[in-house]
Amino acid sequence: MKEKILKFENVKLIYHTVRGETVATENLSFSVEEGEFVAMIGPSGCGKSTLLSLAAGLLAPSEGSVERRGSVGYMLQRDELFPWRTIEKNIQLPLEIEKKLTPEAKKEARELAEKYGLKDFLGSYPSELSGGMRQRAALIRTLAMRPDILLLDEPFSALDYQTRLNVTQDVAGIIRREKKTALLITHDISEAISLADRVIVLTDRPARVAHTHTLDFEETDPLKRRENRQFSAWFELLWKELNV
Amino acid sequence: MKNTNFSAEHLKWRKKRKIRLIVVQSLRVGLLLFFLLFWELSTRLGWADPFLVSSPSRIAATIGSLYAEGTLFYHIGVTLLETAIGFLAAVALGYAIALLLWWSDMLRRILEPYIVVLNALPKIAMGPLIIIWCGTGSKAIVFMTILVGIIVVIMHMLSAFLETDANKLLLLRSMGASKLQILTKLVIPSSRAAFISMLKVAVGMSWIGSIMGEYIVSRAGLGYLIVYGGQVFKLDLVMTATVILCALAAGMYFLVVLLEKILVKNTKN
Repeated sequence: MKEKILKFENVKLIYHTVRGETVATENLSFSVEEGEFVAMIGPSGCGKSTLLSLAAGLLAPSEGSVERRGSVGYMLQRDELFPWRTIEKNIQLPLEIEKKLTPEAKKEARELAEKYGLKDFLGSYPSELSGGMRQRAALIRTLAMRPDILLLDEPFSALDYQTRLNVTQDVAGIIRREKKTALLITHDISEAISLADRVIVLTDRPARVAHTHTLDFEETDPLKRRENRQFSAWFELLWKELNV
Repeated sequence: MKNTNFSAEHLKWRKKRKIRLIVVQSLRVGLLLFFLLFWELSTRLGWADPFLVSSPSRIAATIGSLYAEGTLFYHIGVTLLETAIGFLAAVALGYAIALLLWWSDMLRRILEPYIVVLNALPKIAMGPLIIIWCGTGSKAIVFMTILVGIIVVIMHMLSAFLETDANKLLLLRSMGASKLQILTKLVIPSSRAAFISMLKVAVGMSWIGSIMGEYIVSRAGLGYLIVYGGQVFKLDLVMTATVILCALAAGMYFLVVLLEKILVKNTKN
C-alpha cells in the first residue's frame, strides 16, 4: 500500500461565535495516498473550505486527529497573485517565506515557469495577464514550494466557462506530469469527475463522508473524460448522492 | 502595437478632446484672472473699501515691503519648518502606532474608545496646556501640528491594514509565514494606495495644526502675521499671509501628488 500523505481520523470541529456554536464536521475520517488525486464534493454550506484549513494545519480539530506528512501547497478560488510583484517575484514568494530563496531555488522556480509557458511573462505584472495565465502562474507559485500535497479550493470557480475548461485541462496536466498528490474541494460534480482518481461525497453539516468512489477511467485527461460514456453515469450517481 | 495611422473619425475625436482640454485650462486661469481683476477694480472704483478687503495691488506691495524688510522669507521659513516637522512626525508616529495596533488585537480593542474620543476632541482645547507644557516657542506649534495630524494618520492607516485581503492572508499563512512576514510582504505593500491618500489628508491637517498653533502662541510665522495684522487692523497683512499660505499649501499638496506618481510608476498596481 502506498504511503498516506493526509489522514483525517474522527475529526470534529466546532465553530464558536457570539451567537453560539456550530458543529462544522463530526466523525470525519478519510485519507489521501501519495500520488492520488482526490476530489471532495458536498452540498453548499457544508464547510468544505474549513476542511482545507484543517488539512493545511491552519485550524486545529476540536476532537480527533489530522495527520499530514510533508508540506502543503494551497490554491484558492482566485489566483491571489500580488499585483505589486512581477510574475517571477510572485512565484518566488513561498521560497521567500520559507527563507529558501537560494540562487538554485530561484533557478528551479524559473525553469518550472519556463517549462509551463510563462517564460515571456516572468517580468510582467499580474494585471497584464489573462485569467487563465494568472491561474497557471498561481499553480506554478504553489509548485515552486515543492509541496507534498496540493490543496485546491475550487480553483477554477472564478473563471468563465470557456476559460475554465481550458485552465482545468492545463492545471490537471501539470499536476499529473509533476506527479503531485492533490485534494480538490469543489461543488462542481463534473469537475470532480473529470479530474479525480477518487471522489469523496460529503453530507450536509456536520460534514461526514457519505460515499467514496474510485473512478475507473482509463485516461486522466479531463476533456477526454467528459466525452467518455461513463461520465454521465457517474454524474447521475453523484448528483443523486448529493441530493438525498 | 502603436498605430499612428488613424481613421478620420478618430482624428476628429482627438481634436475634440484637445479643444476641450484647452478650454478647461484657459477657463481655469481665466477665472483666477477675472477674480483678481474684479477685486482690484472694485476697490479702485469705490465699490468696496480697500481698508477692509485689501486688493491685489496692495497685497503685492505688502509682499514687496516684507521682502524689503527682510522678514518675508523668515516668516515663510518659520511656518514651513513647523508644518513640515509636525507633518513628518505625525505621519511617522501615527504610522508606527497604527502598525502596533494592527499587530496586537488586544491592544487595539483596549485603546479603541480612547482613539475615538481623541479624534472627536477639538485639539484647540488643548491650547493652554500646550503653552504650559511646551512654552511659547516653535516647540508648542510643532506639538499642536502633531496632535492635529496624528489621529487621522492612525485611523486611516489602521483601517487600511485591517482591510488586507483575507484570502491573501490565508495564502501566506498556508505557506507558513510569520506575522512579521505577513506585515512586510502583504500588509504594508497592499496599503500603499491608502498611504498616499493619508498623506494628502495629513498635509491639510498639518497646515491647520501649525496655523492654529501660531494663533495661540507665536512670535513669527504666517499665522503670527495673520493674528498680528488682525489685531492692529492691517488687513493687507492678513490677506497677504493668507495668499502666501494658499500657495504653500498647494505646493506641499503637489509634492505629495508627485510622490504618488513616482510610487505608482514603480509598482504598476
